[in-house]
Amino acid sequence: MSGSGAREAVFPTRQSLGLMKTKLKGAQTGHDLLKRKSEALTKRFREITRRIDEAKRKMGRVMQIAAFSLAEVTYAVGGDIGYQIQESAKQARFRVRTKQENVSGVFLPQFESYTAESNNDFALTGLGKGGQQVQRCRETYARAVETLVELASLQTAFVILDEVIKVVNRRVNAIEHVIIPRTENTIKYINSELDELDREEFYRLKKVSGKKQRDAAESELERANEKASASKDQAEEEAADAGDSQDLLGDKDNEDVIF
Amino acid sequence: MEGLFYNVKYGYIEGIVRGYRNALLTSQNYSNLTQCETIDDVKLQLSPAYGDFLSSLPPNPSTSALANKTTEKLVAEFRYLQANATGSLSKFMEYLTYGYMIDNVALLITGTLHERDTRELLERCHPLGWFETMPVLCVATNIEELYNSVLIETPLAPYFKGSLSHQDLDELNIEIIRNTLYKNYLEDFHNWVNTQPDIAGTPTADVMTEVLEFEADRRSINITLNSFGTELSKADRKKLYPNFGSLYPEGTTMLSRADDVEGVRIAVESVADYKTFFDQTGLSGGGSGGVGNMSGGAGGESRSLEDLFYQKEMEISKLAFTRQFTHAIVYAWVKLREQEIRNITWIAECIAQNQKERIGNFISVF
Amino acid sequence: MSLTYGLGGSTAALGVVGLYMLFNGEGEAFNVGQFLESVNPYTWATLGIAMCIGLSVVGSAWGIFTTGASIVGGGVKAPRIRTKNLISIIFCEVVAIYGVIMAIIFSSKLAFVEAEVQHTPKNYFTGFALFWAGITVGMCNLICGVSVGINGSSAALADAADPSLFVKILVIEIFSSILGLFGLIIGLLVQSNAPEFE
Repeated sequence: MSGSGAREAVFPTRQSLGLMKTKLKGAQTGHDLLKRKSEALTKRFREITRRIDEAKRKMGRVMQIAAFSLAEVTYAVGGDIGYQIQESAKQARFRVRTKQENVSGVFLPQFESYTAESNNDFALTGLGKGGQQVQRCRETYARAVETLVELASLQTAFVILDEVIKVVNRRVNAIEHVIIPRTENTIKYINSELDELDREEFYRLKKVSGKKQRDAAESELERANEKASASKDQAEEEAADAGDSQDLLGDKDNEDVIF
Repeated sequence: MEGLFYNVKYGYIEGIVRGYRNALLTSQNYSNLTQCETIDDVKLQLSPAYGDFLSSLPPNPSTSALANKTTEKLVAEFRYLQANATGSLSKFMEYLTYGYMIDNVALLITGTLHERDTRELLERCHPLGWFETMPVLCVATNIEELYNSVLIETPLAPYFKGSLSHQDLDELNIEIIRNTLYKNYLEDFHNWVNTQPDIAGTPTADVMTEVLEFEADRRSINITLNSFGTELSKADRKKLYPNFGSLYPEGTTMLSRADDVEGVRIAVESVADYKTFFDQTGLSGGGSGGVGNMSGGAGGESRSLEDLFYQKEMEISKLAFTRQFTHAIVYAWVKLREQEIRNITWIAECIAQNQKERIGNFISVF
Repeated sequence: MSLTYGLGGSTAALGVVGLYMLFNGEGEAFNVGQFLESVNPYTWATLGIAMCIGLSVVGSAWGIFTTGASIVGGGVKAPRIRTKNLISIIFCEVVAIYGVIMAIIFSSKLAFVEAEVQHTPKNYFTGFALFWAGITVGMCNLICGVSVGINGSSAALADAADPSLFVKILVIEIFSSILGLFGLIIGLLVQSNAPEFE
């Protein structure tokens, strides 16, 4: 079992086991955090999707009304005023500024529209005929552009969030399905290797101690034998000594005793 | 007395104009048009009246293309009449074109002010206001040259002279220039129909005085209503009111002092028609009724002031045809025709944008 | 306009001549009775005939051009009116025919008479009768022609607009064309009492 699944190429040492355990813990914490982030982002994402849907429907309606109010202008003024409007507009009245919003560490650009009330370049258009319609049409289109700006900001957020959520999910999945199993595998492997080593060591020790015991028993036996023979010798010696006393420091070699 | 001699010169033209008037769409045609599902259906319904002019359009044309083609027909017919007109009628028809000419010149002035290539603008000019020397105006590169060429080349010179200098063209808003010109034009036209020996005292003078006075009043009221909330000062505003009409002089003086819709209502109260209009639109009650036409997409049911003005104009134009031996029918025909083009555009627009509930907002008098 | 000038001019001229004669002591020369008596009855008779036919033709022609111009104009867009509205033209033409008939009847009274016996009361009567009958017929026909002409022009335009109107306006046109007939009858009555020149 320790052989199945990928594992990191580490030496199964106790030190690397410690490392791996830290790593696993880190990975789990990271996984939890990322999972939470991904959930937060997804929540936001869903909300944005819903709002985009709303905004798109609204845009459809508003643009329809706006296009229709243009038709009304054409009807009231009785001609094309496009060129005149184009030329009389000198400064943007409807402006957009951006700000950033931080959603779980992701910066989403947000467009905000505002109208500069100071300049109204074609307030006098259609003075003699249809001026009210022109103004009304302008307001309707301003509303339409507002919706467009809102939609644009939502769309950008949508794209960015989509990207970020993908990345985060990839990380979560990577941690969940690759890093954690691998680390766990590695730990298991290290553990099993270490166990193996332990068992080997144990066996060896057993073996050594068995041998030792055997040796000890042997030597004991030998000693006992020797003792017995010695006492018999002594008795003989004593018997011989009585006859031929042996020089204790004589040239007779003593037998080495190995212990 | 006009019956004795009118037909010597103008009988043919009058007959033709009445023929054109008979070709205008009736309420029957309009109700058929409103039943249409696509622009192609509209085109088909229009084919008896507009035949040749619409046949060159591609299938499912845009509404603006439709409007262009219908205008083309008006212009073609107008040009034919103009070619056949003699004497005071030809002058009268020239006067008719001056209104469009003013629009065109205003367009060219706008273009020159912003240093655009004015040659491109020639295509955008209203064909009725086309005059032969118009391309000459495009040569002008700065506003002073343009001013001089306008004075030399166009029949509008008298309207510029005395009330506008070339510095004014640079400084004033183009709308103010346009309305000043229009005011001068209306006054000149009014003066002409009442002093020209051929016309003074004839039904032409009667009808045209009524029409022009209505036009003058309408412009005064519109200018006043549209100027609320803009930088146009009261004194400047007063300069744009034509110096005749049923509101002149007390009404216009009161208009020039008006600060809000209520003030306008009080100013026009002396004229029963306009009072009725204000009552109908609910403006007199200080309510939120729209001043503009069809209350801009808010879907109001009651008719707006401008609708009522158009309606009144059409009534006057229709009544002009009850008089024989008068030039006024040419004017009335052009106005009716323009309204018809607007109506067609409106209906086509409603169909194209699928806004069927508002389709009935056109004005049909026949 | 030209009518006013013409009338004013002739009145002024007559006034000047009259006053001149008055102030020069020749006032009695301005004698209407003598003038009427001294003019030859033939002059009166032929003047009457000329006025009868001339004014009738003028009236008829006036009517025809008034109607004709409208028919031509209206016919461009509604060609169907051109045959029907020939009736209006015919009504105008009838006016000229009245004049021709009357002129023929009047001229039948003319006969050559020796100069010495020309100035008889009888001849004077014939002369004056023919003159005034001619004026009556002529003026009636002139006015009738103009009236029919204007009516006819309206009829043509009305017909072009709405075919059902044609008959209605034709009735009115008939009424105005009857006006010429009145003049014709009175002219006939006036001249019937006048004997031939003898």
